Amino acid sequence: MKHALHKMNPSVKFLAITVCMFTMAFFFDPWTPFVFWIAVLVLQVFLSQINWKKWLLFMLPFFVTAFGYFWTTLVFAEEQSGPVVWSIWNMHITEVQLNHALSLSFRVLAFSSLSLLFAFTTNPVTFILSLMQQLKLSPKIAYGVMVGYQFLPVLKDEFVQIQQAHRLRGAAQEKNALQRLLGIRRILIPMLAGAVRKAERAAFAMEARGFTGERRSSYFQVISIGKVDVVLVVLFLIVLVLSCTNGLWLS
Amino acid sequence: MHKIIQFEQVSFRYPDEEKWILEDLSLTVLRGERVVINGPSGCGKTTLLYLCNRLYPDNCDGVLNGSIKIFGKDSSSFIPGEINHRISTVFQDPDSQFCMQTVEEELAFTLENLHVRREEMEKRISEVLTLTDLSEFRHSVIQKLSGGQKQRIATACALIMQPEVLLLDEPLSHLDPYTAKKYVEWLDELQQKRSMTIVAIEHRLDLWGDFFDRSISLKENKEPPPFDKRKSSKQDDVSLVVNKVSAKSFLQETTFSLNRGEIAVLAGPNGSGKSTLLKALCQLIPSSGSVEPKLLGYVPQSPEFLFLTKSVQDEVGFGGGINVDEMMTRLQLFPIADAHPFAVSHGQKRRVAIAAMLSDGREVILMDEPTSGQDAAALAELFQLIDERACEGTTFLIVTHDMEFAYCLADSVLLMRDGCLTGKFEAGAMWSDEQLLLDHHLLPPKEVMHREACFA
Repeated sequence: MKHALHKMNPSVKFLAITVCMFTMAFFFDPWTPFVFWIAVLVLQVFLSQINWKKWLLFMLPFFVTAFGYFWTTLVFAEEQSGPVVWSIWNMHITEVQLNHALSLSFRVLAFSSLSLLFAFTTNPVTFILSLMQQLKLSPKIAYGVMVGYQFLPVLKDEFVQIQQAHRLRGAAQEKNALQRLLGIRRILIPMLAGAVRKAERAAFAMEARGFTGERRSSYFQVISIGKVDVVLVVLFLIVLVLSCTNGLWLS
Repeated sequence: MHKIIQFEQVSFRYPDEEKWILEDLSLTVLRGERVVINGPSGCGKTTLLYLCNRLYPDNCDGVLNGSIKIFGKDSSSFIPGEINHRISTVFQDPDSQFCMQTVEEELAFTLENLHVRREEMEKRISEVLTLTDLSEFRHSVIQKLSGGQKQRIATACALIMQPEVLLLDEPLSHLDPYTAKKYVEWLDELQQKRSMTIVAIEHRLDLWGDFFDRSISLKENKEPPPFDKRKSSKQDDVSLVVNKVSAKSFLQETTFSLNRGEIAVLAGPNGSGKSTLLKALCQLIPSSGSVEPKLLGYVPQSPEFLFLTKSVQDEVGFGGGINVDEMMTRLQLFPIADAHPFAVSHGQKRRVAIAAMLSDGREVILMDEPTSGQDAAALAELFQLIDERACEGTTFLIVTHDMEFAYCLADSVLLMRDGCLTGKFEAGAMWSDEQLLLDHHLLPPKEVMHREACFA
């Protein structure tokens, strides 16, 4: 049970989540995204094993954004009709305003936690393999992405090395954030030069191993669709229907 | 005998260059032969190899004249990928020839390319792992393995295709001498088991022993400018004092000192902490202990990592040194003063880096693997560069795997193993202490071996 979301076929999960997001985009009341958000969290609590501390850390910017939406919509709303529900100083907040604000911020939370659910329960390599096997992604693109993924740690090492070499030269860390951003250019140029060389070598190595980019006739690591996927898709749909029809059972 | 690779009057050049890289080249490789192709850097060795496995001319739109026959058929008549099933290649750089995470996935990737049926894959993977003695690494993450292990994995990936020909592109250049020798022995055994044809390119044949049947030289073999054992320029006053330097988790407490004008070589197995020690000495990574003087010069394996400006002149003067012009003259940099430091040759980049360090007032220079992948001419240039500076009173600490180079250059040798400095040895008697060298994955230089043989 605790592994269900991790075991789910990544392509199926991807499609299910896309459908949910697309549907959510058509609801403008505050309750639908709210109920949906809570439901996503419940799913995540019961069907996955993730590091909640890390989750909170990743959610933090989204909480800030959500609050930002909430506040700006309240203060700068155009439509100010409807009964006033809340007054602070000389600001009068109407029901319509409040609903808009809540709707926007819950939507941010719902979308971000849904994305994080995907990110935290999916292995990138399995995702690519599954895209290739279920959704017929071209092997050229799939393996290209995969090689890029293998290079990330190498590039990170190189970045640190260049940074260290520059520090030795006495290129002082700029205080000003903008200047520091411009300073990164000096690190990126040698890195890009190296990356181009590495990319060419990797491409040659792949070709020398007989990779031509054509479809493969069989896979060593088969990513299949099973019962778990059917059950989870049904579960996602139930959650979606429940939150879309909240008007019927909440009032 | 069967002719496998046949070049007849082959000329090749890149589309945007006038100069022919290969000109009127004819050669034949027979089945079961072990052939080495040698020649200095830039003479077209790698190009030749890429013509054999048909990465060229298609991938670079190069211009090709003459005929190349592979397995008796014109090479352009093969469909893409077909030739790569029969001729497989191991490349030079162990870091950029893999595209999957684990060894098993990497091997499976090769089999998928060959359209092997899934039921057969398992069998072939275990087979090749047993053959190459790599079964223990089956589920290892490739990027976490050492250079030598990666090179063996790359070879296993080439062998799983059951090729008729194995091409090797300087496979030893990133390995320490002992690991390199082990690799050669291992390859020797494999070749006998599989009776493949092996074509390798290599500019240093010392480590291969009598592995090859035949060698083909691409440029008429100009005797490489030899460097003799240099006279020590070590002076009496101390210029570098390292006291109890250690870095977290790996580098043990290290204490040693170097004199002015001394050239010391730091050697040891792959992954023994040599680079870490250099970085700790320049305070690039957090470390405890004390280093005197505070300002040390450091030249990484890729000298361009150091460059911050747009011209060689600015680069040398970046630290605000006063004697920039003098440095430029001494290191013969005036001819390239206005060039972009990224655009000059590798040897020149290193020259610029050293000039910049010296004009910053850094009188002790630490160099990380300056010899790896360098041909004889480049080594001679490097030797001269270091020798001249040392005579002027600069102190050097150089990490290298090249024992011939170390033997000719070093006044003293620092040996390292498992993050711990074993000791500082005066060059001389230590070169014939085979046990000591073997413990540090090193081999005695040829000259010493030769002398030993005469005495025996």
